[in-house]
Amino acid sequence: MLSLFVALAHSSLGQYMQTSKWGFALVETVHLLALAILGGSVLIIDLRLLGIILPKESARAIGKDLSRLLLGSLVFLVLSGVAMLSEEALKCYHNPAFRWKMALLAAAIVFYFTLHRKALIHTDKQTPTLWSRTAAVVSLTLWLGVGVAGRAIGLI
Amino acid sequence: MSTLQHVCQLLYDSHIGTMIRESDTAFPIIESVHVLAVTLLVGTIALLDLRMLGIVLRRIPVTQIARTVFPLTWSGFAIMFVSGFLLFWAEAAKNYSNPAFRVKLILLALVGLNPLIFHTTIYRRVHEWEILSTSPWRARAAAVASLTLWSGVIVAGRLIAYF
Repeated sequence: MLSLFVALAHSSLGQYMQTSKWGFALVETVHLLALAILGGSVLIIDLRLLGIILPKESARAIGKDLSRLLLGSLVFLVLSGVAMLSEEALKCYHNPAFRWKMALLAAAIVFYFTLHRKALIHTDKQTPTLWSRTAAVVSLTLWLGVGVAGRAIGLI
Repeated sequence: MSTLQHVCQLLYDSHIGTMIRESDTAFPIIESVHVLAVTLLVGTIALLDLRMLGIVLRRIPVTQIARTVFPLTWSGFAIMFVSGFLLFWAEAAKNYSNPAFRVKLILLALVGLNPLIFHTTIYRRVHEWEILSTSPWRARAAAVASLTLWSGVIVAGRLIAYF
């Protein structure tokens, strides 16, 4: 794993990010813009799953529709994230906040494609069950955790 | 020194401003809250914009989406405004001459003007077009303006730290 990070730091992307004056600022901005879209989509999907908003609309349809935004913004987040990582790959490798972020991100993605999706399909147009509500809370917590851990990378 | 610059200097030198600036944790914590609030505000308003453009949730009436997101959007706005002001308080004297900060304020003024125009014009007749999967061009223009301006606010905001 470490050699992968070393290779990333020495790649042409890494070299560019480390020397360019505006590269990091630009990539960071893309990361933030995509974050807003991801955050909005996750929030709307999970509030529907909790039965707080749009109770008469199908949770399944909302989840399916907004998954395009969610996954689309996730692609931008990962790409800009890799570019930011290449600027200080070795520092991140040893950073506990970075490790937490990656673990939480993996958990959030796996949860999204499995139990969360099941809860959306199961709820559809009905009032959510306790299980669906729990899925929504877990999803919100995981995604928020990814963000908080991400913010902490620069602080510790 | 202009009055505005003088006020910024007073804020900067004030007890609270200095406290936020010199604390190890205050600034990053407020900044994190600010980013989360921006996500809440822009993320939800973008959904309404994308709905009017006919990109997502096309089968749900525009008014229903608007009613759903507004409490979230306004909560985001309130938290963003308070946390943003605290950040400004700590850095006021530096921000005053920061070009990215000035651009951000101009964009914020414009982004406030946009819903004002939208709500007093095309949105008044929303009941005629709320169920259309793609809204009329005036509403789409407002949506594009909103998406562009809010993106600009985020870009300019992020760049404050680089000047």
